[in-house]
Amino acid sequence: MFLMRFTERAYVNYTAEDVKNSPNSAVRLTFSNRHFDPQLGADLYNEYLDEYEYCEEAGFDGLMLNEHHNTPTCLGATMNLEAAILARTTKKPKIVLLGNPLPIFDNPVRLAEELAEIDMISRGRLVSGFVRGTGVESLATNTNPLYNRERFEEAHDLVIKTWTTPGPFRWEGEHYHFRVVNPFETPLQKPHPPIWIPGTGSPETLEWCAEHHYPFVFLETDPESTVDMKGIYADKAREHGYEPGPEHFGYLLRIHVQDTDAYAKEVGKGYLVGNVGVGRLPMPNDYMFPVGYSGRDPKYLQLRERIRSDPFRVGGLDAAGYEAILEANRMIIGSPDTVIRKLREVLARVRPGILAVWTNDGSISHKDSLRCLQLMGQEVLPALHDMGKELELTDPFQKTP
Amino acid sequence: MPADVRQVSVDIGGTHIRMLKGGAGAPLVILHGTEGCQGWLRYAQALAEQFTVYVPSHPGFDGSERPAWLNTIPDLVCFYTWFLETQGLEGVPAIGFSLGGWLAAEIVATTHHAFSKLMLVDAAGIKPQVDEITDLFILSPAQITQLTFHDPQQAPEYDMLYGGTRTPAHQENAIKNREMAVRLTWKPYMHDPRLPSLLARVHIPTCIVWGRQDHIIPVECGELYRQAIPGAELVVLDNCGHMPQVEQPEAFVRLARQFLG
Repeated sequence: MFLMRFTERAYVNYTAEDVKNSPNSAVRLTFSNRHFDPQLGADLYNEYLDEYEYCEEAGFDGLMLNEHHNTPTCLGATMNLEAAILARTTKKPKIVLLGNPLPIFDNPVRLAEELAEIDMISRGRLVSGFVRGTGVESLATNTNPLYNRERFEEAHDLVIKTWTTPGPFRWEGEHYHFRVVNPFETPLQKPHPPIWIPGTGSPETLEWCAEHHYPFVFLETDPESTVDMKGIYADKAREHGYEPGPEHFGYLLRIHVQDTDAYAKEVGKGYLVGNVGVGRLPMPNDYMFPVGYSGRDPKYLQLRERIRSDPFRVGGLDAAGYEAILEANRMIIGSPDTVIRKLREVLARVRPGILAVWTNDGSISHKDSLRCLQLMGQEVLPALHDMGKELELTDPFQKTP
Repeated sequence: MPADVRQVSVDIGGTHIRMLKGGAGAPLVILHGTEGCQGWLRYAQALAEQFTVYVPSHPGFDGSERPAWLNTIPDLVCFYTWFLETQGLEGVPAIGFSLGGWLAAEIVATTHHAFSKLMLVDAAGIKPQVDEITDLFILSPAQITQLTFHDPQQAPEYDMLYGGTRTPAHQENAIKNREMAVRLTWKPYMHDPRLPSLLARVHIPTCIVWGRQDHIIPVECGELYRQAIPGAELVVLDNCGHMPQVEQPEAFVRLARQFLG
């Protein structure tokens, strides 16, 4: 099992009241950046990079980054910059980008160049994930949401061709047009860096991933619906002549560990109280899912009905209440023993080859975060690696998807 | 819908669009806004006493087909010049509401024989210089409706159009209409930078009608249209929002009859 560390790198110095008083009471897109203090931003970026660098020592297999725009919930507005720094300051862990929001790039060739540089500087440690981006990413960059999926697929095809086909070649597509595609720098990994796709499981994306043999990383989805969504992936995989295994799936969970259950539980509340952005205040539907963003193909609307609904769906995971979330193993928080015991239940059910460990966020302090990472390294990660072997949770580096 | 009003399907180069047609007399073409045609409303019925009124639903709206090549306002201009030609409707008067006003303005800026007279009502298409055109695509339908009317009480069809619960079919239609509006108007948003310059070419009688309290497209755009179209007149209706034809149907119809003759 491949274990990678994740945090949203939240900016937390604002209040729920600030958000309520902002346009449409939205924490993303229109929440004014007058609430941002670059002095604090400078500290936070450096602390977050320190934490990621420490993760190498702690023994994580990968460092996972993500990207969002116009939001205090995630400081990774240009994730590739952080990745480039970590490519240079770390030596061993994979740098896992989940992912670059392809549709918002008007120049995917430039993206292919950036990723190739990161791959070379890291000496072949890049995992290049791609996403459609939330509606906010489309709105923040004025990218027509109606073309989101078309642009995602075309940009993907162009990046892959740029990496794998000797140039120069011409690209006259639907959304992208280039007279000379021939970036001189190509990725170190051949034919190209591994591609993983994170998401909450739209049937269109699951089938697209299965067609491409790309591992799908489920982001905090309900375990039961995750099993249903894996079924959609598996059906499509079988059409393409293969049976998916754990190496085709990943799972992201908020997992926080401290010396005692009581203290972990106290600190873990910070996921919810300190970061009003990750679900605690409702976001306008038209921000996250603007007109045109969601597919309306009846075939996929029907497939969606195959997926059991998440009991915490209404209002989001964070609105469900701390105790209920812990009870349902939707966040795993406790002493090392508790965390290991609870994770066994989840891993046996979901069977991912990749586990994304969202160790800290919101108001969880840098000090508590470092202690969490230390305990992860000393006790949790070794136990999880053993558990992965025992449960035969093969990862994409042990078996090519 | 009165008995003499018919829902017809029109084939334009293999694309079937829906159209309401009713009344008697000389033809009058009505081009709808982002909300779609909204059915045969009071203003249409009143105008039908004097004209044969044609209300086509643009490709992609209200169940009209969209040909794969049609993605922009200039594409829609091509489609409508084809429509007018095949339906024998060239050289007739036209009224364009909001998005439909923009479309009508683009058509007359492209060809001189499309329409004989033009009425533009709270039309999109020109970038305001002081204010902004409201971004409809980050607002909910309820917020848009609220901004559309100055005083819903004076709109006799308000409850019929916006009150009560929507059927799933109605909701689906509204989503598809919004998607088509996104397709046509995303960037540059709701305007064409070329349009003011091209409108200098227009030599047909043009009447511009605007609600003074239009919170979607500011009334200054009416003035910019007046300046751009030679000889155009601007009539601003007091206590009226973005849809004079629904909010003040009687005043609107009076103006239309006066102008169209």
